[in-house]
Amino acid sequence: MWNKREDEPIRAAAAPQTSLPPTAVTARREQQAAIGPSISIVGDLTGDEDLTILGRVKGKIDLPQHSVTVGESGHVDADIHAKVVSVAGEVHGNLVAGEQILIRRTATMLGNLTAPRVGLEDGCRFRGSVDMEAQPERGRPAPIPASRATGAIVPVKPAEAAGQPAGGAGGGTPAKPEAPLVRP
Amino acid sequence: MWWSSGSRSPAEPAPPPGQRSEALKGLLDSLVPESRHAVLDLGPPLAGNIKFLAALSCRVRIADLHRSLCAESVESRQPEAMGALFERLLPLAPDERFDALLAWDVFDYMRPDQVSSLMARLTPACRPEALVLVLASTRRQVPAAPPRYRIVDRETLACEGPLQPVRTCPRYTQLDLARMMPGFSVRRSFLLRNGIQEYLLARDTGGGASRAREVAAAAGATPGRAWFRRGRR
Repeated sequence: MWNKREDEPIRAAAAPQTSLPPTAVTARREQQAAIGPSISIVGDLTGDEDLTILGRVKGKIDLPQHSVTVGESGHVDADIHAKVVSVAGEVHGNLVAGEQILIRRTATMLGNLTAPRVGLEDGCRFRGSVDMEAQPERGRPAPIPASRATGAIVPVKPAEAAGQPAGGAGGGTPAKPEAPLVRP
Repeated sequence: MWWSSGSRSPAEPAPPPGQRSEALKGLLDSLVPESRHAVLDLGPPLAGNIKFLAALSCRVRIADLHRSLCAESVESRQPEAMGALFERLLPLAPDERFDALLAWDVFDYMRPDQVSSLMARLTPACRPEALVLVLASTRRQVPAAPPRYRIVDRETLACEGPLQPVRTCPRYTQLDLARMMPGFSVRRSFLLRNGIQEYLLARDTGGGASRAREVAAAAGATPGRAWFRRGRR
């Protein structure tokens, strides 16, 4: 009887929301990486989990099987290749998404967008091209298991973060050769 | 900004919002769905327009020119600096060529020298016979900020945005456009009831004039002339 009581799922009753085993919850938490507002990264980012950027990133972001979210405080000066890209902050670079790109109304986006679905909220600042037909390259080599940043991680002073000049315009990717215009 | 007048019965279906635009129809008719086209939109980004053009297999480049120009310093907007400014604001790949250009009413918010510099930048990036849609107001005043033009369907445009405050309108004429846009000629022109003159211009080629006459004749318009006479200023 005493043994039976000990085997009762007391912990489960105390935490009814954990229908998944604790290991699964932990794993799901680990699939979300975030770069905080005071973090600045210079270099290439690859990984195997979703990424939220609230700080600054300069270089290249390659998460083809996952989503990348640039928060309102995020400043990205990099090309982004991901499954889903959502931008609410500032991005200077080209975005390639396997599924969807969403540019929020608070976003400042300078660069080209390539995805099967592109959403632009009215009020966003956007300069660049939108290509919703060309499929991003597939069959890339499997990404590195854990999120990894190659490069320096340095804290950013709030004053520096606020005074980012809007340099470098979008549109760096050369246009693909196109069929000549045929008129009826 | 677009008006609808008259009463209609409840059973009558509501007309689509917006105004019929023959110039838009002419431009879109030139974009054959089987081909990939490049379209430059000088206006602000509108999801609906991008979606509409993407359905026509178009790659759309958004310039958001007015907002970009307003964000520049006064010095960089001087006539002698306009060339460099547009090179910076409109970074084009060397091999990038456009089949169509949606200028909307952006010219109404630019000086003649600015329009000339802009077209000097864009003309080499336009394919032969590339079409340009220009909306030029014939009224004395226009909204202080350019409204947004939303493509409702192939021949309907809806205009959105505040009408107040207002600013003086340059009231560019067809002759002004010819001066500011060398290398382009007006194929069709339509004066809308709201006082906006639509122009559909095409980049000239060797046989451009005869082609323009051909197209205009097919549309029942006199090439290079407005369908309606403009009112007195």
